[in-house]
Amino acid sequence: MRDSLQTLSRSLLGPVGAIVAVMACGFLLVLAVSDEPVLAYRDLLFANFDSRSNFALFVNRMTPLLLIGLGVVFSFRAGVFNVGGEGQLYLGAIAATATALAFPHAPGPVLIGLSLIAGIAAGAAWGWIPGILKVRLAVNEVVTTLMLNFVALLLTEYLVINGMRDTTAYGAVSYVLAEQAWLPDIPGLPGATIGAVIALLLAPLAWVALFRTEWGANLRAAGANIRFAEAVGVRAARQVVIAMLISGGLSGLAGAFYVLGIGHRFEQNFSPGFGLIGMTVALLARVHPIGVVATAAFYALILNGAGYMQIDADVPRSLVNLLAGFLVLFMTARFRRGQAPA
Amino acid sequence: MSASMQASQFLASVLEQTTPLLLAALAAMITTRANILNVAVEGMMLVAAFTAIAVGEASGSASLALISAIGASAMMSLIFGFVSIVMKADFIVAGLGLNILAAGGTLFVLEQVYQDPGGLRPEVFPDLWRVPSGALSWFPIVGPAFERQSVIVFLALIAVPVCSFVLYRMPIGYALRAVGEDEPAAIAAGVHAARMKLLAVLASGLLAGLAGAQLSMDRLHFFLPDMTSGRGFIGLAATLFGGGLPWATAGAAFLFGAFGALGDRLQTFQAPPQFVLMAPYIAAVLGLILSRVRAAARSRPARIGGRAT
Repeated sequence: MRDSLQTLSRSLLGPVGAIVAVMACGFLLVLAVSDEPVLAYRDLLFANFDSRSNFALFVNRMTPLLLIGLGVVFSFRAGVFNVGGEGQLYLGAIAATATALAFPHAPGPVLIGLSLIAGIAAGAAWGWIPGILKVRLAVNEVVTTLMLNFVALLLTEYLVINGMRDTTAYGAVSYVLAEQAWLPDIPGLPGATIGAVIALLLAPLAWVALFRTEWGANLRAAGANIRFAEAVGVRAARQVVIAMLISGGLSGLAGAFYVLGIGHRFEQNFSPGFGLIGMTVALLARVHPIGVVATAAFYALILNGAGYMQIDADVPRSLVNLLAGFLVLFMTARFRRGQAPA
Repeated sequence: MSASMQASQFLASVLEQTTPLLLAALAAMITTRANILNVAVEGMMLVAAFTAIAVGEASGSASLALISAIGASAMMSLIFGFVSIVMKADFIVAGLGLNILAAGGTLFVLEQVYQDPGGLRPEVFPDLWRVPSGALSWFPIVGPAFERQSVIVFLALIAVPVCSFVLYRMPIGYALRAVGEDEPAAIAAGVHAARMKLLAVLASGLLAGLAGAQLSMDRLHFFLPDMTSGRGFIGLAATLFGGGLPWATAGAAFLFGAFGALGDRLQTFQAPPQFVLMAPYIAAVLGLILSRVRAAARSRPARIGGRAT
């Protein structure tokens, strides 16, 4: 236990430094462009807690980031550089939507269960492709996942236009799901999807699976050195594929949660780059499942806070995108020095 | 309209669609040969596209706009090079970070300076040098296709043999490829590996700058947030499909450009536009799979235990 606490604190030190440095640079920028820099930064960091509805929006923003981040942790720990979170997210979302729309009269729990399973399965299938290509043919997974992201975006656009399109709405938007398919809100926090609670529970589960089971040890062994792992009898290639199934499945679940809990329909471009942000969430947490909770919360905080900052202090919300870019550059500059695999 | 006119019109639109892809592909190719998978082309292009419009509007000079665009993209490439080569960051993460930075930065300037997150549309904008109309009409079909094309199109076409020459006929190209193929061996042979990689990244910045400038200032004369819309990645796909070879990469870029031009006309064929747009990405994945299958077949006798890693 002491050992794992040490790992945790070590994995906290670098990211916190990067965050502080970037937020300090951001403050200088706000000083230059705004008359009310203090108000702007207060909004950026704390406006999420001003009201219950703000907090609910924050929770909803965090959920997909956390799930995708956890998925990325599994794949990175198995040595797969999965940049395909976005595509897996969209596949999960469209599969959940299609399932929920296909059985409009099924009872709620059945419908929700089926839709979630469909979302997980579709995301996992999309993650399986680069996984199997990597272990069988040594095809570079960065390229395949990147390319499959674009294929997924176009494929889901095609599917929603040809078959599920709500013609009364503008753009590539599906019909609204039957109300019994909607996920319940968190009790006492209207508007916040219960999916967030499940995502939060999955984080310690992921930690136990990765760091306290033989299965997890095998997975990490495959990630550290696949040849060595095979040589000592670990079925490493299989572990890699399983890691990609889990990784894609979690991203797919994020898509399903978004559709069932937040959007209640599939919308083309519903994701403001959750996949890419989810990957940076995992990297910032030094690929640690518990750390991912904190970094996902941080990203959700500033992504939503930027909106309030723009309204109150007239600072462009894209400041956050700018900072997010700097944050990635800052932390990656130290990433190789850590002991986390990439 | 006569068939030959239609053919040259189609060829002209292929040229226009191909130019940014070709330049992006060459940008990715140069770094690929130095063993850097360059996902940052997208971000470099975006910054160049924005700079071209901003400087062109402010100065009224097309050449100044073009040079500034290339300069801005080169600056981005140097940031990328500094973080990934000097600071030894993972270059994929750094590249994706640079893309986020480019998208956020251009949007921030749009909102802060131009007060319009929707884009930057100058009312008047200086035009690039173009081939005068009628100048090439003596050459059937191909000639008219090149009329009214901008100087960037020609630069892109010239860039292919130039890249090929530099990579295969000049010592600097040998050194660059040596670093890409076996870095320790190259270092042992006295090649300054980090300098070579930085040079490759800078070259990719210059090419990506041209690509971005063409996108915004050649025909459209405006900038939209995220207007590169994945063209940097298609360029990367073309490079991978072409196996990192200059002429094959150029061929792949032309193929994808032709797909794009065809996609504009495919309404007549009733083909879903999404599938046409998917083609480059699927082609890149298939190209990679094929090249790995070939490699696996070649190395079979030498393999022990069955699985290549």
